[in-house]
Amino acid sequence: MDGLFEILIVFILLVIGYFSGNYLEKRHYKSIRERERQTRHIPIITFGAKQFMLENTQNTELFIGSVVVSVDYFKRISASLRNLVGGRIMVYETLLDRGRREALLRLKENAIDWGATQIINVRLETSAIGGRSGNNRGLGSIEVIAYGTGIK
Amino acid sequence: MKFVEKEIPEGINVTPHNPLLNFAHLLGTVVVLSIVIFVALGYIAEWLASRLSPETEGKIGQMLMHTVSEEIQEDSRIQYIETLLHSLSESEEKIRLPLTVHLIEDEVINAAIMPGGHVLVHTALLEKVESENELVFILAHELGHFQARDSIKSLGRSLVFVTAYLTLGISSFLEWGGFGDVVPMTEQLAGLHYSRQQEKTADIYALSKMIKRYGHAGHSLDFFERLDKESEKSKQLEKVSQYFSTHPSNPSRINYLNKTAAKNGWNMAGETTSAKWLQCPDMKECKLATD
Repeated sequence: MDGLFEILIVFILLVIGYFSGNYLEKRHYKSIRERERQTRHIPIITFGAKQFMLENTQNTELFIGSVVVSVDYFKRISASLRNLVGGRIMVYETLLDRGRREALLRLKENAIDWGATQIINVRLETSAIGGRSGNNRGLGSIEVIAYGTGIK
Repeated sequence: MKFVEKEIPEGINVTPHNPLLNFAHLLGTVVVLSIVIFVALGYIAEWLASRLSPETEGKIGQMLMHTVSEEIQEDSRIQYIETLLHSLSESEEKIRLPLTVHLIEDEVINAAIMPGGHVLVHTALLEKVESENELVFILAHELGHFQARDSIKSLGRSLVFVTAYLTLGISSFLEWGGFGDVVPMTEQLAGLHYSRQQEKTADIYALSKMIKRYGHAGHSLDFFERLDKESEKSKQLEKVSQYFSTHPSNPSRINYLNKTAAKNGWNMAGETTSAKWLQCPDMKECKLATD
């Protein structure tokens, strides 16, 4: 009876996780696409050390965009099952995709507010957060940081 | 070079897939694989367990007995049951370990054998039993399990289950939901379950012991018939169902035993021998007349 009850709770959590996760993800993607379209006029370029800087540069500034995203219970369980058999964890792909694009957007929006005409040498970094002390079994959250130099 | 705005491509880093199908597929694979592994390991453990030395089995039995509570230490009934049990094993066959009887204060009607030759008898069972024949049949049934090493085999099987549960990460998978509870599993370990075939073999063994001891097997199944009637009345369903959960259902069991007896030409009718303590209601005070 207890076992049945536990399974029922897990099942309910899975259902809640699936629907809420799906809803939030769709909403987030919608917002990401919209904002990407609004900010795509600002180019992101990488300069090497031996290249000349752009002419007519008035000012430069460092911009940072960071975001923390988590997956839902459904995806977490799905990934933990994947951990047993191996293979690509496709359910986590959207998590990382959303994280990267959101971080980049925040950086861009910041830079645009400041008046940047382009952003150079953007770098992305990801770290895993969450999980209990010492072990990362409960892992399902990431932080993505994007940083780069705005130029105007 | 002039910068030209372009449409932003979608879906490069996300594999299109149906998460529900993916999940079902994963769950199916994991469940099927674990069942296959569990069953295979179960057989291996059973095979190993049946080859344990009696000394090791005795040690395991001692460890398990520590988990048994509510044991009555001083009671004349223990001595009586032990006498009965030893009378069963006095014949030519070899019992690999000395059998000990433990009387447990419990209102659930049950009897069990633990690895190491520990026979557990619940007080409720003794209150339900109306003749010596019934009691001897139950004891002989448990002895049958012991001789077939059923309890140690079942323990080996449970050990595999618990170990797999703890190591395969299934526990951690449940822990995320906050269910790191191993208790139901350890209960599984202590509660011995036998297969139907094992039960049948133990029953036939018990019946043959009855014939040896009394010359007939009459009234040995009365106990089950009575439990059956009571469960129909369903007043004590909860107490009785416990016995059914670890033993085969009674009507089929009685039928099968009667058929076996007929096949072997065993006499199923005879006088009852009354249980000694029934003559004195307050059992603790009762002095048993030795045979």
